[in-house]
Amino acid sequence: MKTFESILALVEMELRRLKHDPIEIITRAIQPILWVTVFGIVMAHRVALGVQDYISFIAPGVVFQSATFMALAYGIMMVFERESGVLKKLLSSPIPRVNIVIGRSLAGAVRASTQYIIVLASAALVGAKFTSNPLLLIASYIIVIYVCTGFTAISILAASLMKTRERFMGIVGAISMPLFFASNALYPIDIMPEALKVFALLNPLTYAVDILRKLVLYNELDVLIDLLALTIFNIISLAIAVKELNKIIE
Amino acid sequence: MFAIEVRDLVKVYSGGVVALNGVNLVVDEGVSHAILGPNGAGKTTLIRIITTQIKPTKGSVKVFGFDIMSQGGRVRGLIGYVPQEMSLWTELTGYENALIYAKIYGIESSKRAEVIEDVLEFMGLKEVEKRLVKTYSGGMIRRLEIAIALMCRPKLLILDEPTIGLDPRARMLVWERLLAYKKEFGSTIFFATHYMDEADKYADKVSLIDRGRIVAEGTSSELKKIYGVDKIVLRVVGDMEKARKVLQEFGFDVSISNNGEVSMAVKDPAIMLPKVIEGLYSMGIAVLEARVVEASLDDVFIKLTGKGISEEEERELIRDILSTRRMIRRGG
Repeated sequence: MKTFESILALVEMELRRLKHDPIEIITRAIQPILWVTVFGIVMAHRVALGVQDYISFIAPGVVFQSATFMALAYGIMMVFERESGVLKKLLSSPIPRVNIVIGRSLAGAVRASTQYIIVLASAALVGAKFTSNPLLLIASYIIVIYVCTGFTAISILAASLMKTRERFMGIVGAISMPLFFASNALYPIDIMPEALKVFALLNPLTYAVDILRKLVLYNELDVLIDLLALTIFNIISLAIAVKELNKIIE
Repeated sequence: MFAIEVRDLVKVYSGGVVALNGVNLVVDEGVSHAILGPNGAGKTTLIRIITTQIKPTKGSVKVFGFDIMSQGGRVRGLIGYVPQEMSLWTELTGYENALIYAKIYGIESSKRAEVIEDVLEFMGLKEVEKRLVKTYSGGMIRRLEIAIALMCRPKLLILDEPTIGLDPRARMLVWERLLAYKKEFGSTIFFATHYMDEADKYADKVSLIDRGRIVAEGTSSELKKIYGVDKIVLRVVGDMEKARKVLQEFGFDVSISNNGEVSMAVKDPAIMLPKVIEGLYSMGIAVLEARVVEASLDDVFIKLTGKGISEEEERELIRDILSTRRMIRRGG
């Protein structure tokens, strides 16, 4: 119980920060809103991707594009905390290091998951159709947090290895866009060239988008393989982030 | 048992920098113990090893008998620690910072509100607890950090440069509270500082550190007695060179400073001063002004290492810290 409490304390810290300063949520929302509205609407009339309703189709993809980008950027806070004394204080407190990583990953994920609401709402405004089952909508929200936990762990790992703000932002930029385009976020995997297909199948974002589509678009519950893939991704990224955390202060 | 026991501690950073080069140190339970030395002497590295943040290259450290390597968890449960840099979330209020740390430190929910209330009251922060930390002054930030470190009633409080960059009034306030806590709970305080007067005033025992080695240890008055020298400083009428000659004949090591002051090291200045004045007078030299300068820890340090803790270096260090603080407050 105590173990759990320290993890939740870090999530609570994040929620309180968010309450005092919600600006990031709004600025981060601008880009995805443009994706689903402008891009979605324009593309819906221009191309035939074998998809019936393009705005609904890309909405889950844009949710994850935006949320994973926020998750991947979360590590900048660790870079700041490395320069300030917060990390030193946490590392010398009774909280186990693994909890620091899990707690902060979850905290970053909760912060990033706000994009789910914003993107779905703005897509719905321009005509996207989603499930009306509240349980599926809630389950999807939890899935978004779950997926972003792994991506935040990657971000914490990047912070441990990069150490300076410039290098950190560089690596985040280098990861996030390719991740988005080499996934099924904007187009179905079937129409991809073979090489890209291989990459998309190794891309955790593909499985995340797939789950979300199944749940909120198609009312499907056949998500076991996706969940398995994402769990493997989460375990690996958390494990490496924990292992490398020591490097952040050396 | 010692509060801290450091044996043959060596720390070599990955770049090959030797930060600690065979440190031996014991801190008795219930005392206030300072580690004093210039910037880069190894103080922070020593503290980071004791607080289990980084691993030593060689040697051992025990905190109340627990080994920092094999029993790190036990050690972390006993210490309250305030790093040199700010360890707060500036976008949260003072109260929220205390609340989050109370949860991280596992303070039971039934006691939490009371504990937080107590420490904030104790450190004089009750009125500002609802303000965001980014609006706090340097002194308030330090007091909040100490309040947070006190929440779990640590047996050992470890402070890295606790008053760096604070004005004298804020420094005094911080120390008054720290010593009150120590008195009330019989806790041990181990702190790093480069302020001579801070070590002099607030530490029962002082260890001087230079280039990764402890160069001397003792109470401040012991150190001054062994290594320090008191001085007599005079201003004479007329020929200074003649005064110098006379005093040299008396057997003193005399120096004349640029502003025309004649100074010499003596063992018992209070007894020697009248004799010196008399001796000079008998040779026809009148003394205009005389004062005794007592030995300081700075003298001790100079005697032991051949250098003082440079003012310039200190100003630079403070500038760095203040600019980091500002940057953090702005959120980068």
